[in-house]
Formats: sequence, structure tokens, C-alpha cells
Amino acid sequence: MSVARKQRDVVSVEWVKLELIRTAYSTRGGLFAAMDPRAVLAWYVMLALAPWFTHNLTTIACLFALGVVSVAVARVGPLVLGLFVIGLGFELVYLVLAATLFGGDFTTFVALTEVTMKIGVVSLASLAAFVSLDPEKLSDALLALRCPPTIAFAVSYGYRMMPILVEEFSTVMEGYRLRQAPPAKAGFLGWRHLVHWATLAVKAFYPIFLNTAKSVRTTVEALEARGFTFATIDGRGRRIRIAGLRYRWLDLVVVLATAALIAAGFAIGAEWPLYRG
Amino acid sequence: MADPIIEVRELSFRYPGAECDTLRNVDLTIERGDFVAIVGGNGSGKTTLCKTFNGLVPHYWSGEFAGSVRVAGEDTWESSVARLSWTVGYVYQDFQNQLVRPTVRDEVAFGPINFGFDDHAERTEEALAAVGIAHLADRFVWQLSGGQAHRVALASVLAMRPEVIVVDEPVAELDPAAAHEVYEQLTALNRERGITVITIEHHAEFIAQYARSVVLMSDGAPVWHLPADEALERAGELADHGIPAPQIVDAMRVAGVGGVARSVDAAAARIRAARAAAPVAGAAVPEPRPDRAVVVEALRVSHGFRSVSGEVQPVIDELDLALREGDRVAIIGGNGAGKTTLMRLLAGIHVPRSGEVVLDGSNTRASRAGRLAEKAAYLYQQPERMFLKESVRADIELFPRSRKEPETMAIVDRILERVRLTEFAERDGRTLSGGQQRRATLAIGLAMRPALLLLDEPTASLDVASRDDVIDMLAELDGAISCAVIATHDMHLVSEWATRVIALEDGRVVADTTPRALFADDELLSRARLVPPQVVQLGRALGMDPLPLTVAEFAAAFDPMEVPA
Repeated sequence: MSVARKQRDVVSVEWVKLELIRTAYSTRGGLFAAMDPRAVLAWYVMLALAPWFTHNLTTIACLFALGVVSVAVARVGPLVLGLFVIGLGFELVYLVLAATLFGGDFTTFVALTEVTMKIGVVSLASLAAFVSLDPEKLSDALLALRCPPTIAFAVSYGYRMMPILVEEFSTVMEGYRLRQAPPAKAGFLGWRHLVHWATLAVKAFYPIFLNTAKSVRTTVEALEARGFTFATIDGRGRRIRIAGLRYRWLDLVVVLATAALIAAGFAIGAEWPLYRG
Repeated sequence: MADPIIEVRELSFRYPGAECDTLRNVDLTIERGDFVAIVGGNGSGKTTLCKTFNGLVPHYWSGEFAGSVRVAGEDTWESSVARLSWTVGYVYQDFQNQLVRPTVRDEVAFGPINFGFDDHAERTEEALAAVGIAHLADRFVWQLSGGQAHRVALASVLAMRPEVIVVDEPVAELDPAAAHEVYEQLTALNRERGITVITIEHHAEFIAQYARSVVLMSDGAPVWHLPADEALERAGELADHGIPAPQIVDAMRVAGVGGVARSVDAAAARIRAARAAAPVAGAAVPEPRPDRAVVVEALRVSHGFRSVSGEVQPVIDELDLALREGDRVAIIGGNGAGKTTLMRLLAGIHVPRSGEVVLDGSNTRASRAGRLAEKAAYLYQQPERMFLKESVRADIELFPRSRKEPETMAIVDRILERVRLTEFAERDGRTLSGGQQRRATLAIGLAMRPALLLLDEPTASLDVASRDDVIDMLAELDGAISCAVIATHDMHLVSEWATRVIALEDGRVVADTTPRALFADDELLSRARLVPPQVVQLGRALGMDPLPLTVAEFAAAFDPMEVPA
């Protein structure tokens, strides 16, 4: 059985890399990408905390709906959204299984669902917020909120490293794929291939770390030479960086509208309450 | 008028944990406004010396430091890396790793903002304009070509308005046209702004063309520091330290003229004045037989990749090509012409979006890439990318052993012998020198015992001696493989090794010819941004026909005539 090979554009390592870059640098735009990063963080904290103040399923459902709308206006890409949906799906399956296996009934299921929904709201808010903040904005916002400069830089540099690491991973995997003989027989459902791939993925880490460590040495020297350490002691760099941040009307409108919607969620919940058990 | 910008006195330095001093008793003075080339073999301490200028030694690398370094009157021992960076800018050999911010503008502004300069915006714009990359300001750094990335690294140190710029081996990672551009840029900065330029360089041609003075380093200390003319006169001494003379100097020697010329035109004028150029006694070029077996064939192949914004960027466009047994193919073309993509399609690592690739009689769509690797081996441009294991031997062994080849040990031993790496077999490939790494990847490729061997830029970032080594080794491979393909910018490699040249432009074949015909075709040369080797240029300037491809061929043209003693 040999399937003809084709160039694939989705669900390939290359696609994952592009998706990560698109996500990290918010190239898709969207509502929150246009806002001041500090306002986005405030918005995020608001929506992420709200579900923990109630046990009312109606309210939580409203908040969940709000999260879904946010994700839509933030234009979250298929990769992270797909991972989220898959994760949530598995969680539900697991809940059903757990409830049945341990002699629970529908009420147990509902009880566990409440926590899942709450976590779902937080995840949706995180997706919407962090997909909309590119690393520069996020690190500027952290600086403005008096975070230590090292952390702010780590955020920004971490994002810079990401495409490098993914690239390195795909190269090393390709090397193994070409040079390590694939299993002769596929086995049931191709399990031999799965094992082969899983082994390679683990083996890939040794070369990735050595290769990356070598290149990082130059980076660290360059950082030193370009005043990175100097800026952590001297405050002028921070002042210049955060001078570009401005609150505008849009920020106020979005934050107030969200506050109002959350309030509305609680009001609806109070009107038509639904509690477990 | 002596106005030293850098004064090194009795400097010795030993890296922490090292057995011996990397720098020993260095005394060196560099004048303000000079254009200095620092030359010397691998391990002669060139890079370490340059790192003392901006204080990385001893402040970042805190080893045993004795003596003094004064930069613009300031003792580096008393100062700090941050403070010295205002005076000395440093562009690394692996400059890609020096870019730490996502966009070009952020990258250039990073230094000025860190130091809290209120005029950071002007500095950034000025630096971007100075190296001609203002139009790239909003690009992401990983979207840049090598040449562009080098300019960004240069702009980011220029934004500090330094008095000295150190550039570590710009030729190593750039194609020759881009390397010339870097040197032109540095020359302009040197002339117009009086910036002192210090480069570490292996290539005598660049030294001859651009440097004003030369420091020869050996074993941790300068042997001499001389004006460029005098330095180039000492060709023998340079050759001993791994810097062979430029081809024109060799050519003048074999033509019986002798002496030093700094450009092809000057050499041609001197040879013409000394004697009438003899026409080459036509070196008979054997016509390749057309009936040889086809090793790999591309049929109306088109391919492309998706970009961040989502659309498919075409790379290869309806390309037809057949490579035959015994071909030594060089694929040339500017960055982004599709060389690497074409090679990876031929090796079956990718399959084309449309069209077919037939490798050794079977369509690449029909087999897994891992199986096709038994017929075609592709070697990456960066050797480190091929080191997966903890030793060179284990890396070479990986392919035959995993395929249960009974004679694995014998094959590996033979290949190690062949690439002269037997004594390094147990070392980690990442710790070898550039030339050794390249030979190790060649060994990995040979262990796959392919019919088709594809090499991506096998001579990039090698010093001249290691490069000649690799070229010789490639020439010896003819018996072991049916067809070798190389993608390269290195015209020395093309002229000395290839029998067939395929020029790519925008994913199409624009020429399929011999090296000699390529170098005679002005239109093609300028279109593909190629700079022929100096001896070829010299042959052209002297009106020789057929063109000499190597110094040996050039010498042959003069042979019948009497050479004055």
C-alpha cells in the first residue's frame, strides 16, 4: 500500500511554524490588536476572574459565550483554536467516562462540567488576549506595569526564539527521517510508524539543544554590547519604551462594554438561575 | 600625524580553564580612520583580539588578563562593555544570532533605547539610511536574506555612532556579490565619516581591494602590521598562514611578470606592458556524450511555499531538467532563485506541487523520503544541521547501520579514511573546524552510497585552504557516485570543478552551459550577479580565447613562450 505523496499545506511542520508566527505576531489583526496593551491586560484579568465568583451555570454559560465572541473578534488562528477545541472535547469525554466508571450519575457530570466551563472561559480569554498582543506590546505593557525589565525582555526574546526552535526541530526531524531507516512493516494501524516517529521526536532534543546553545552565545554577547544590562539599571530606556503607549477611546469603550456584558451575564443568571444538583 | 584610536600594550589573555594563552604579548597601534584587515590562520587569536576592543575581553570573558588596551584614550580595564560599545561596534561572523528583536526598526533602535538616548529615533533613521535599508524597516528579521540581515546588524551598531567598527569575516556567510557590497559600504563609512574599520578576513582579494593596512596574526600575537601594498608583497608569508595570494598575483608570477597588483585591470596592464599575451593553445574540451543514462529528471515541475500571510510564493516554475551519469553540475543563481528548493525536489525530500520528478527510474511521489534517501543524498549548507549524534563516527554510521548493512564498520572506516577524519572520528561534529565539519557532512553523504549527491554551498564560510581541500575531495568522488550536483555562489568551485552549469532565475533555467561559456557571457554574468574568478577576469581583459578557468590553464597559455628567469 503506497499512497502518492503530495505537497501538504496544513498539518505539516511548516504549517505549524507559520501558524505559531502568525499567532505570536498577531498578523491577522483583530479588535484587541488595535488596543493599548495595558487595556488588553486589564480586559483579560476582568474576563478571566469573573467566572470564579459564581456557581450559577447560566452566568457561566453567558461568560463562555462572551469568550467565544472575543475569540471571533480577535481572529484567532486555526492551530491554537483547534488545540483548544480538541482539548475541551477530550475533557468532556473524560468527564463522561469518569462519571460513569466511578458510579456517578448526571449530577456528577454537571458538577465537573462547571469547572471545565470556568477553565474554558479563562482559556478563551487568554487566546483572545495573547493572540492579539505581539511580544513587543506585551513586554512594553509589562514594563509599564513595573515588571522587572528582565522579565519583559524574556517575553520578547522568548518569542524571537520560537521560530528558531521550530526551524531547528524540523531540520533535525528531517535529518532523522532521511537517515534513520523507517520500519519495514507498518503494523496494525501503522503503530510501528507511530513508535518510530515518537522515538525520533525524543532523540531530536539532543541536537536541538546543542545547536541552539552554540548560537545563543553570540546573542548573549551582543545583548551585553548593546546595553541590555545597562538598561536594567538605568531607567531612561524604560521611559522611552513606554512613552509610545497611549490609552484611547477604543480601549475605554471595549473595557466598559465588557464590564457591562459581564454584569449582564450575572443579571441573567440571577433571573434564570441554574445550579447543579 | 599619529592619532591612535586603539593602543594595545603587552597584552596577554587566557580564557578561563584554558591550557595556554590565546593572546601573548600583543603590541599593536591602530590609527584613527584606518581600514585594517586582520588576517591569520584558524586559532591565531584574531577574534579574541577584536573582542578586547569593545571590552568583551576581559569584562564578559573574565580570564587572566595582563597588559593594557586603550580605546579612544580610555583604558578598557577601567571601563565596561556598555560604555565601550558607544565607541566600538561589533558585527559577528554569525550575525544572524546577533539580531534579537523581531523587526528591523526595533533591532536598530535597541541599542540607542537601552542607553536612553533621547535622539534614538533620529539615530535609527540615520543608521537605516546609511546602509540603504530604510525600505526594510518594518520587516521581520527572519524574512531577510543573508545580505540584508548583515546590513541590519551593521545598522544596529551604526546607530550607536561608533568611532570603530569591527566586522568578523563578512565573506563567510554571504555570497560574493553581497560580500563586495558589505565592503563597499564599509569603505564609504570609512571615507565619509572617518570611522575606523577593522575586518577579520581570509580572502586576499578583498584585502587587496579594500584594506589600507594589514595585521598578520600568528599564535596569539601580531607578526607584523604593514600598509596593504607591502603586506601583499609578502605573499609567501601570507600563504604560510593560510592566506594564499590572490589569483592575479599567481597569474602574474606564472606569466613571468612578478610583483603585486591590487586589481585585475592593473595586473592586465602590467602583463600587457611586459609581453604580448599569447593565445591559449586550445585546451581540447571533450564533448560529453549525450547518450549517458539519466540519473534524475524533472518534468514541468512547479513548486512554492506558503508565506506568513497565507499565499503561495512560487519558487520553481514549470522547470524541465535531466541530469545524466557523469555530470558535475553546478546550479547557480542569486539568493531566492530556487537553487535549494530544486535540489530538495530532486532528492525527493519534497514533492512538487505540479509536475513530476523521476529519480533513478521511479517517480518521487511513489516512495517515502526515507527510502529515496538510498538513491539521493542532500547535504545542507550549514554542516551543523547534519550532526545528530554525539560523534562523527555515529553520524556516519546512522544510515547504513539502521538499514542493517552487514559491512557497516568497514564502510565507515573506509569513508573516514577517504575524507581524512579518522583521527577525529570520536569527536562531536559540532566541535570541529569549518573545513572538518564540511568533510564530515561529505562523509555522511557518502555513507548513504547514493547515485545522486546534492550539496548546498559546500564551500561557504571556509577559508581558502579548506575550500581548496573540499574542491579536491569533490573531484575525487567521480567513481563513487553517478552524478554530483552543487548549488553555489563560489565561482572558483564552478571554474575548477563543474562540467555543466545551470543558471536559475525566478525558478526557471535561464542557461544550461559549460563554465567556459558562462564566463564569456557578459549578459548572463550581470543578470545572475556573478563575479568570475580573478584569473578568468584577467583572461578576459587580455582577450584570451578560450578563457582560462584556472591558474594552471592560464600558465599553459604562457608556457610555450620564454619565461624570463
